[in-house]
Amino acid sequence: MSSMTGRPHAESQAAARRLRDHFPGAADLLHTQRRQFMRVMAASLALGGLAGCNDDDTRDEIVPPVQQIQGQAPGETLTYASATLMDGFANGVRVTTRDGRPLKIEGNPQHPWSRGGTDVFGQASVLGLYDPFRSQTVTHLTRDSNWPTFRGAMVGTLAALRASGGAGLAILLGPVTSPTLAAQIAQQQGVWPKMRVYSAGGVTREAVYEGTRRAFGQALETHYDFSGVRVAVCLDGDLLDAGPHQVGTARRWAAARREAAAQGGLLTLFAAGPVPNLTSAKADHAICASPALIDTMARALLAQAGGGQAPALPPQAEAWCAAVWAALDGARGAGVVQAGVHASPAVQECVHRLNAALGNTGRTVLHTDPVLIRGQDLRILVADVDRGDVHSLLILGANPVYESPGDVNFAALLGKVSLCIHAGMIVDETAQSVDWHLPMAHPLESWGDARSVDGTASLIQPTISPLYDGKTASEILSLLFEQEPRSALEILRAHWAGLGDEGWRAAQLSGVLAGGGLQPYDVQPTNAPLAQAAPRAAGLDLLFRPDPTVWDGAWADNAWLQELPKPLTKITWENVVGLSPATAAALNVANGDHVVLRVGAQDVEGPVWVIAGQDDAVVSVTLGYGRRVEGQLSAGLGFDAYRLRRLSDPWRVAGVAVHRTGRTQDLACTQSHTTMEGHDFIRVQTMGAAPVGDGDRAAPTLYAAQQGDGRAWGMVIDLDACIGCNACITACQAENNIAVVGRDAVLQGREMQWLRVDIYADARAEAAHGGGEDAAVVAPVRFQPVPCMQCEQAPCEVGCPVEATLHDHEGLNLMVYNRCIGTRACSGYCPYKVRRFNWTDYSAGAAPSMVEQRNPDVTVRARGVMEKCTYCVQRIVQARIVSDRDDTPIADGAVITACQGACPTGAIVFGDLAQNDSAVARAHADPRRYALLGELNTRPRTTYLAALAPALAKRG
Amino acid sequence: MRQLFAPGADAILRLALFVVAAGSVMMLVVAGAVANSDYVSMVGIAPAQPVPFSHKHHSGELGLDCRYCHATVETEATAGMPPTYTCMTCHSQIWTGAPMLAPVRDSLASHKPLAWTRVNRLPDYVYFNHAIHVSKGIGCSSCHGDMTAMQMTLRAQSFHMDFCLQCHRNPAANVRPIGEVLNMSWQAPPDQMARGRALMAQYHIRGAAVLTDCSTCHR
Repeated sequence: MSSMTGRPHAESQAAARRLRDHFPGAADLLHTQRRQFMRVMAASLALGGLAGCNDDDTRDEIVPPVQQIQGQAPGETLTYASATLMDGFANGVRVTTRDGRPLKIEGNPQHPWSRGGTDVFGQASVLGLYDPFRSQTVTHLTRDSNWPTFRGAMVGTLAALRASGGAGLAILLGPVTSPTLAAQIAQQQGVWPKMRVYSAGGVTREAVYEGTRRAFGQALETHYDFSGVRVAVCLDGDLLDAGPHQVGTARRWAAARREAAAQGGLLTLFAAGPVPNLTSAKADHAICASPALIDTMARALLAQAGGGQAPALPPQAEAWCAAVWAALDGARGAGVVQAGVHASPAVQECVHRLNAALGNTGRTVLHTDPVLIRGQDLRILVADVDRGDVHSLLILGANPVYESPGDVNFAALLGKVSLCIHAGMIVDETAQSVDWHLPMAHPLESWGDARSVDGTASLIQPTISPLYDGKTASEILSLLFEQEPRSALEILRAHWAGLGDEGWRAAQLSGVLAGGGLQPYDVQPTNAPLAQAAPRAAGLDLLFRPDPTVWDGAWADNAWLQELPKPLTKITWENVVGLSPATAAALNVANGDHVVLRVGAQDVEGPVWVIAGQDDAVVSVTLGYGRRVEGQLSAGLGFDAYRLRRLSDPWRVAGVAVHRTGRTQDLACTQSHTTMEGHDFIRVQTMGAAPVGDGDRAAPTLYAAQQGDGRAWGMVIDLDACIGCNACITACQAENNIAVVGRDAVLQGREMQWLRVDIYADARAEAAHGGGEDAAVVAPVRFQPVPCMQCEQAPCEVGCPVEATLHDHEGLNLMVYNRCIGTRACSGYCPYKVRRFNWTDYSAGAAPSMVEQRNPDVTVRARGVMEKCTYCVQRIVQARIVSDRDDTPIADGAVITACQGACPTGAIVFGDLAQNDSAVARAHADPRRYALLGELNTRPRTTYLAALAPALAKRG
Repeated sequence: MRQLFAPGADAILRLALFVVAAGSVMMLVVAGAVANSDYVSMVGIAPAQPVPFSHKHHSGELGLDCRYCHATVETEATAGMPPTYTCMTCHSQIWTGAPMLAPVRDSLASHKPLAWTRVNRLPDYVYFNHAIHVSKGIGCSSCHGDMTAMQMTLRAQSFHMDFCLQCHRNPAANVRPIGEVLNMSWQAPPDQMARGRALMAQYHIRGAAVLTDCSTCHR
């Protein structure tokens, strides 16, 4: 293809439009000079992609390798046990590779923490590996350099440090749990005692550790054993929410809930919080309460446990606390009380003491040593730099220029340090402000280790040679501190030498480094008195929450996560200012109206979103947006909430001023209608009531039954287990080459994800709890994943004029892309609206490295064809071929759809309905099973298990 | 008044209509013929390869088993192309200096793979699986022709969908005993239909109704 500069202007305009559609954050690039625009295109995106014509048709050639490696023949799949990192914590996974490239993350059932589940961040991490925006080379003062030059430039500094015992060297760590790295740092601190280590991160866990320190006298990590648990209480909690703990905790919670339901009981979940989250959505009894009220409630519950005077509570909180206490008291040693990472240390302390008083500590609530490597706090770093004690700063895997609170000007701070080195995977705000930027290797291409929340040491194995010039954190430290730099593998094996070769091999196969876990131990609460509650200031509080899809901004450049609708607001591509309905009415703002939030001297402007169930005295914002690096995907999206954060309290600012600006904007929301309007899309099974499922009832039909050949694929989704985490959506996107369409297309409703998770407010529960009169009571929000129903009597098949969608003999509703002519009649006929249309060539603009991630077993769809969930037909066909080739039946569980494999709670069951005693046949016989829109008689193969609800309270 | 149209205008109009009608029909016929011709489907054309590899010599004269090079034909979707190492298993000892084999030696020395021109090509939306065909008694020569007669590799069939459907609608006509799969000169015996049906029962080959499900080849 001809070079960039030879392109005529008209083509570049079309390409520029595509750039704007694909990457809205780069829109401002278009106003630069044409030459600069071309340079940016050539450097980051184009390489033949955006031009639209791809004339290097590689399928005209067959290129075998020079030497065939066992297991890497074309078509063969190699799977590695590894771990994905979420805020430094590990989730054990298996990585599927084809032709030497990792394509998909699957759960690892052998991993003691994740037990086969994954989260959205794990699923999306494979895209991060191929991200064209990744940092590819060492840079020195933003000019390209290389590792030998860097090492050479450090010679003088390192010599001085050796002479002075490390005086003046500061290492700022991002969130990291690697035992090997911890050992390296500890060893270096032995040699250089004056070296200082600090920790930073957007989602800081210091409140968690401070809470345990106050309650038990030492910083501890907490995780939960849900076996036998009958009640769980969350005070400003995040038990089921996104975070390092989500996969393991959700799995254990769902398993315990299922077990309790099988015995006719219910694992009751109580939640009180100022901002609705997944935990309050799943809670059987949830109320919204301001942070001050939660503090009071926690003290009240603790007082009841320890005897003594309980503080006064408002009536609805009193009723809730009474119910909570009754449940906890009746389940001593079988209950869990939790406070989230964003709860205040005072509430955390109350919760720990409460668990101890109830006998939960040591049984259901387990404590280990802190898993995170903890250095000194950021404020100590600020003080040390201001004093002039730091002359060399090494920032490993953190982005403090962006993530530090608004009252710390980190960029200015860097100016006081003579040597700043930043190591990270992306050229972010910090990388642009330092002397040396070092590219870090992605976990999928590096050797390493990490710990899960329960302390299990997980192995991180590379699944591909490093794509660029990146090194792991261990290698960077080795490069700086050791005479002969070692590779990550050497460092890792040296640290884990105790395993021996046998243990190492076992670790590679299972992903778990045996014997390296942290054991929980007994702790007793101290006798120190509770600190007094802080007096509550009048006015609105500003609460910060990690974003459910981009977390603290670490994932902001991941296109799949930007386009993933946030679980409760269903907003994509930006963050919003959350206001309760009453507060929004008082300010006279509606969804999309812009407001300015002012804290001290800093202000930030953002669009409003009305969140039902949020406390009236609270404004909520999520972190991770408002990025400032030109050319990155995330640039210009949303607003930067970090500017309003304060060093004193990372999660709450008292007294924020909110003003209308009069501006308004459209928000790319995928579901704005959340009431069921009298339908029963989501059925709720009240404990002890008559079954709400369809049973064996089937309406008569005029259509002839479809011919089957013995197999009948079907799926049952348990709505009680679904926590709305969206891992299934990202897994489906990874498996099926689903394109990212950009914000403008989502505004038009053209998002391409085959699977959506609908949310509905449960009107019945609201009525049961006294309806709208009791504003504090929050009705559960129910999640319903909606894939293609694979209807036996499919309306879409009737509508297609060219038979591009038709049935096969195993009950699948097939979509034949090459036959589709794009009439979109099928989508019109579909009552579930699960069909997605390629309005334009969404897949054509991908950078070459992104093309590497695509699944070779799934067609990449061009413009003008309809697509939809296929029950992962490529996996079914592969299993069918192997079964036919080897003349063996397909075992139950041999075919796992992408969504099913990703789900952390195991809510999705898939298999052969016609097979005796398959898991899906058993689920099909459950009295809670029903079909969505069953009255339309489409006979869907995808059915649901009604969500469970506690028995209605007796009135009077 | 003078007439607008001369008497001969009728004839011209009829001739024009006839030409348009016949021409449209002819265009469709020609288009169809071109689409199905060897020019478009490349049947019988042997494209240039980096090395002029002769199946006739290796499979025919030397009698090398097909699976020595196409190693994954019984287990994977793709039959597999031999890596340079496979060529060098013999050619490191025989014809070691032949100029014809210089690209192979260069590939080994520089560790750069050989780029063969693809002869049998299916569109991206077709997912063909060799393993299931070979293990159910469809011989190589049924689709690829007599490889042992080809000096340079050429395409034996158009691989249009109707070629695949011919067999998928009537597998009994093409199934042979597993032992004959690699036999390039196998011909269907006179009682092929009866034998074929027996083999289908023996090898558990599904009937035409299931074999013509779209999901068999399209995902």
